[in-house]
Amino acid sequence: MQIRISDDAAALACGADAVADAFVKAGQVPERVSSWGMHWLEPLVEVGGIGYGPVTPDRVPDILAGSADDLRIGAVAEHAFIKGQQRLTFARFGKTRPLSLEDYAATGGWKGLERARTLGPDDTIAEVLASGLRGRGGAGFPAGIKWRTVAYAKAPRKFIVCNADEGDSGTFADRMVMEGDPFMLIEGMAIAGLAVGAGKAYVYIRSEYPHAIAKMEAAAALAAPIIAPFEVEVRTGAGAYVCGEETSLLNSLEGKRGEVRAKPPLPAHEGLFGCPTVINNVLTLAAVPFVLAEGAKAYADYGMGRSRGTMPVQLAGNIKHGGLYETAFGITLGALVNDIGGGTASGRPVRAVQVGGPLGAYIPVSQFDLPFDYEAFAAADGLIGHGGIVVFDDSVDMARQARFAMQFCAVESCGKCTPCRIGAVRGVETIDRLMAGGRARGAIENLPQIHNANRKARSAADEVALLRDLCETMKFGSLCALGGFTPYPVLSALNHFPEDFVVESAS
Amino acid sequence: MSPAEKLVYMANQIARNLETAGRDHAARQTAEHIIAFWDPRMKQMILNHLDAGGTGLSEIAHAAIAEVRANVDA
Amino acid sequence: MTYVRQNDFGTPAVSAEETVTLTIDGRDVTVPQGTTVMRAAAEIGTAIPKLCATDNLKQFGSCRLCLVEIDGARGTPASCTTPVASGMVVHTETPRLQKLRRGVMELYISDHPLDCLTCSANNDCELQDQAAAVGLRDVRYGYEGENHLGLETDTSNPYFDFDPSKCIACSRCVRACDEVQGTFALTMDGRGFASKISAGLASDDFLGSECVSCGACVQACPTATLQEKAVKEIGLPDRSVVTTCAYCGVGCTFRAEMRGEQLVRMVPWKDGKANRGHSCVKGRFAWGYAQHADRILKPMIRASIADPWREVEWDEAFAYAASELKRIAAKYGRGALGGITSSRCTNEETFLVQKLVRAGFGNNNVDTCARVCHSPTGYGLKTTFGTSAGTQDFDSVEQSDVMLVIGANPTDGHPVFASRMKRRLRQGAKLIVIDPRRTDLVRSPHIEAQHHLPLKPGTNVAVLTAMAHVIVTEGLANEAFIRERCDWDEYQDWATFVSEAKHSPETLAAVTGVDPTELRAAARLYATGGNAAIYYGLGVTEHSQGSSTVMAIANLAMVTGNIGRPGVGVNPLRGQNNVQGACDMGSFPHELSGYRHISDGAARKLFEDDWGVTLDPEPGLRIPNMLDAAVDGTFKALYIQGEDILQSDPDTKHVAAGLAAMECVIVHDLFLNETANYAHIFLPGSTFLEKDGTFTNAERRIQPVRKVMSPLNGLADWEVTQRVAQAMDLDWHYTHPSEIMDEIARLTPSFTGVSFERLDAEGSLQWPVNEAAPDGTPVMHIGGFVRGRGKFVVTDYVPTDERTGPRFPLLLTTGRILSHYNVGAQTRRTANVAWHPEDLLEIHPTDAENRGLKDGDWVKLASRSGETTLRALVTDRVAPGVVYTTFHHPMTQANVVTTDYSDWATNCPEYKVTAVQVAASNGPTDWQEDYSRLSERARRIEGVAAE
Repeated sequence: MQIRISDDAAALACGADAVADAFVKAGQVPERVSSWGMHWLEPLVEVGGIGYGPVTPDRVPDILAGSADDLRIGAVAEHAFIKGQQRLTFARFGKTRPLSLEDYAATGGWKGLERARTLGPDDTIAEVLASGLRGRGGAGFPAGIKWRTVAYAKAPRKFIVCNADEGDSGTFADRMVMEGDPFMLIEGMAIAGLAVGAGKAYVYIRSEYPHAIAKMEAAAALAAPIIAPFEVEVRTGAGAYVCGEETSLLNSLEGKRGEVRAKPPLPAHEGLFGCPTVINNVLTLAAVPFVLAEGAKAYADYGMGRSRGTMPVQLAGNIKHGGLYETAFGITLGALVNDIGGGTASGRPVRAVQVGGPLGAYIPVSQFDLPFDYEAFAAADGLIGHGGIVVFDDSVDMARQARFAMQFCAVESCGKCTPCRIGAVRGVETIDRLMAGGRARGAIENLPQIHNANRKARSAADEVALLRDLCETMKFGSLCALGGFTPYPVLSALNHFPEDFVVESAS
Repeated sequence: MSPAEKLVYMANQIARNLETAGRDHAARQTAEHIIAFWDPRMKQMILNHLDAGGTGLSEIAHAAIAEVRANVDA
Repeated sequence: MTYVRQNDFGTPAVSAEETVTLTIDGRDVTVPQGTTVMRAAAEIGTAIPKLCATDNLKQFGSCRLCLVEIDGARGTPASCTTPVASGMVVHTETPRLQKLRRGVMELYISDHPLDCLTCSANNDCELQDQAAAVGLRDVRYGYEGENHLGLETDTSNPYFDFDPSKCIACSRCVRACDEVQGTFALTMDGRGFASKISAGLASDDFLGSECVSCGACVQACPTATLQEKAVKEIGLPDRSVVTTCAYCGVGCTFRAEMRGEQLVRMVPWKDGKANRGHSCVKGRFAWGYAQHADRILKPMIRASIADPWREVEWDEAFAYAASELKRIAAKYGRGALGGITSSRCTNEETFLVQKLVRAGFGNNNVDTCARVCHSPTGYGLKTTFGTSAGTQDFDSVEQSDVMLVIGANPTDGHPVFASRMKRRLRQGAKLIVIDPRRTDLVRSPHIEAQHHLPLKPGTNVAVLTAMAHVIVTEGLANEAFIRERCDWDEYQDWATFVSEAKHSPETLAAVTGVDPTELRAAARLYATGGNAAIYYGLGVTEHSQGSSTVMAIANLAMVTGNIGRPGVGVNPLRGQNNVQGACDMGSFPHELSGYRHISDGAARKLFEDDWGVTLDPEPGLRIPNMLDAAVDGTFKALYIQGEDILQSDPDTKHVAAGLAAMECVIVHDLFLNETANYAHIFLPGSTFLEKDGTFTNAERRIQPVRKVMSPLNGLADWEVTQRVAQAMDLDWHYTHPSEIMDEIARLTPSFTGVSFERLDAEGSLQWPVNEAAPDGTPVMHIGGFVRGRGKFVVTDYVPTDERTGPRFPLLLTTGRILSHYNVGAQTRRTANVAWHPEDLLEIHPTDAENRGLKDGDWVKLASRSGETTLRALVTDRVAPGVVYTTFHHPMTQANVVTTDYSDWATNCPEYKVTAVQVAASNGPTDWQEDYSRLSERARRIEGVAAE
């Protein structure tokens, strides 16, 4: 009888190891596989294809005795959450042992690399271009164009950099890929290296992902002979959110302060150590083996408009069925949150969702008909970002959320550009003043020596106007997306939930 | 070192540095060097030193000083 | 008058063949491809607001004031980081941009002190300027939010303060330290709002940090955060005069920024071709000596050095000098007189002193301090190439692929050029260092020498011959170049010589102590690494084979074809500001200006006709010969302008004996220096700030020195020399140094085209400037050597007679340190003593332990010449068996220890090799105590109480 339990960090956090131990004690050694991505069911135990979850160690005997019907979810692969997905990138999840080269090869692994080797660089890039694959890190820049730029750049050394500094709230897809199917990511990097003429890839993983780091290091060692002479090296971040921004990441990788670089020059021209560099997100590179193995069309057939292929959506926050949901672009937000996610975990009505991490807009239920699509979200002043959806119920205070956005920016700012460095701090202060109903003139402004200061008291409305001006300064003035997108959650909260910004004392 | 001994040392040092050119060539180059760079009283002093039976010059330097004497006399 | 900064284009100039035409605010502008929109705008006078951008630093894009709108482009890109494109239409002032800029400025001012009027940068503050430019009228955030206004000021640096409360976190200081200076001392600590400039981890103050006080950060700072103490004390300058630094041979040009006759600060001039807007701690800050209380401002005389000085009027001093000189000439013959020119004085002053000797004293007993530094360069390069000067301009380094640095420590001795070298090295050029010490260049932030050959002092020739052996025997010689440009027969003789097995690196390793494998690799790199340039200093020249070493260097350059184009060449790094000039001006006893031998009748006639005198065709005495002759009784009077031979020349006791034997020693100097202890007449000198003239730097660049204040003593140095000449009945009537330069140009073929008028118009000129090279000569020997065919000279390694033995088992080598200059007469009278209050003896831990010495112990340093005491610095920067010290402090008198051995061809002293013993000590030596007493007595001035 084949027993499978995930060794994904999410499963481990839910107690998967203890459950696995219990099986061992009961004389059954489970196979440790990747996670299906149904987090509310972890630790999920699969016995002969039938799933049980969430399992606690004391229920192991019941499962073995066939008396755990309350935990039984039926055939996992047939579960509605899985059945509805179009899993291209996550096809192996729940099914294979992450560090098994055997499992990987048996499930179509390395086919993409083999094809790329046959096609050669130009045709490989052509495939990626034709697939319509766009950067999954958030910006949505066509991967093929980036690759072509690097391929055309004349330089003795080029690099592939995989951005695995997955720092957005409510996101975990990168981590799942690295922990659950690391060879797929390595294959993607090797294809990229072949396509652009790079000999080495660095995977920059946030330090908060120890399991992913360990898996990637092990996988890189195992895969070395297969991808040779291409090399993959794992580097660990040091805890800065802004190092997920590609140019900060490059600085950090070079051993420098994780500070954003001005563009141009683009990393594709002058990236790591000044060399032309492809820097792609984990999900982008992880999608590449499918594109090459199955052909560009097979990938491009999914999706809508200019958003081709699938997006591994991550459902999180106050949601009943949280987890990884890979689906073609075009699905509506409402379908994701309500139909698939099952609404809130608290059972209260959904009030808002934040899509795209801490810099994503808060979207009210009234906009749940938005299709998951880069352009549609942009038109609605939102962003898909890395595909994370965080759900809030009606107890959320949107003014506090707006303040949190500014605070997050203040804490995580690299400090290079002025709008972000000072603006975020002033943003927090302005929201505080706004919520206090405005302010009287300050002691300094009251000094007769400070002659030019405006001496009128400032109303809450004045502070709102200032907050909007600040958001504009940050949005258009900031050097990178951290300062530039912080206004999105702030302004969306302000615009969609104005009632939360009414001063308590006044109301 | 007395002033004259110092000049002997200098002449020998010049000769030694030019030695690889071969004896005759080195002697000529040494002489040219001394003629070009030494103050007349220095030239006179080393000549006086030799006249007074002074010793210490290397073979090449000795030959060079003979050329210097010819130049001074000329 | 208000203070005017040099124009700032925001981002560095781009040199590209292709140009791009775009439209900025409706005006067309054509600029090289790759230029930024900001710079393109500045080219047509459109100043886009900016704070983090400045044109000597790479664009950074942090302040976000320079946002512009570009037709068809998304958003509001920063003009400093956006390159121009053909047909681009840029708008720099739109309501949207104005609002954004005001929003950014509002943020800045919400975290900045408001009391501009009492700020030291008031009217010289870019933040203030930009706040005005964007029209900020109200800070709606108020002034009570989180801020940095309470941060403490760091006043540790003697020349500037760091007030972080005024910092706008633009990183210009950090970038200047990295990109311009290359020290990487500063960093941005923390992140976000907590970002803060930090000078280092250990002490976190500037003085205790790695900071070398070059001033680049202060210059880069747009606010008063990094501010000169002098500006805080005096206020802003109201005028500026461009002049040339009087320290080392780099020849940096500065704006002397003045308030009335008071110098407020020296700011490197961006248009200076030697320094390109950079500076070091000496030129930038160490000018306080010019106003130091020690300066002697009245002439003084005395009959005997046992007497106290008597202050007199100028007329009496000149009359006394002339009467003494005439008396001595009458009594001992005209050969008893001589003069020494100074490499610190101007070309014009130097020219006058040698003219005074040749035309007035009637002999050729003139020498210069180059005797003790670069005389072998003159001899060696003249012999091999035909010109007594370096072959390149400093810009050349930007095209070098390989640098071979031998016997030079540029980060200390020539810091501004070192920064340019380091910049090129960071770009990927390779480096070979041949030096007994592990100098900073061997390994410093982002720089590491490919090969360091730590040779035994005194074995330069052996090492260079071994390199030549590798190049010739491994077939790396550039035969085409040699056949075309050099004497083939001489080459073959030389090639045969260096190919001998006894010259292999393996055989010579026993002598040099250099790993033959490293040496072979270094030789291959030099020969095959692309454009290879040699830079050398006094570690080459100050040896018994100094001239041979220079010629061995020239041989290497010729055999590899590394001469005659940018990026290559043989480059002596000149010690003093005007060594090159002093040599050019005919300061040597055997040469007239322009390096024409005194026996050359045609050349002599030119001077004789111009000066109306007959010149002695015989060479005169060199400095050491003068001292010998003085001891011998045939040399009695010496006029010394601006040199302190007692401290700077070797074997101090011998120098003292020579001086003491003279009847009239005239010292013309700023201070009562050590030599003045033996002087009978003291003529007060003037500083470079007090006179007009020219200096010629190590790249043959003639640059103007401009009078920015009146001489405190009343007369510029050239006037003093002229008055001495007039008292000696010479018919001199120069009214301005420009007339002296006209005479130089008239009499010197390589200076034909030089005039003050042209220098004013063009900034500087590199000689030769004549009909053949009307615009001067940045790189020499292009297409052919000046002497015709390049001459290979066989350089046989002859070991010095200075040997270690049981009594003196260690080798002493000497050098200098960044913060001090030469004998320290100037820098010791500035706050630079904060970095180097005394000379220290560097000794290897093994040698120290064998002698029971700890770091900081007083030690006795003894040689066969003499002994002195100083404190020990235990460090592995020196190899076992080698000790090292500086000679900046008269208390140490390092030259008591050095010997009278010298270069065979030029008598340049062998400062770099002295056999010594080091032992624990508990106090000054007898010599130091005796000298200290003598010094005190000799410095008495009648009617002036001792301090």
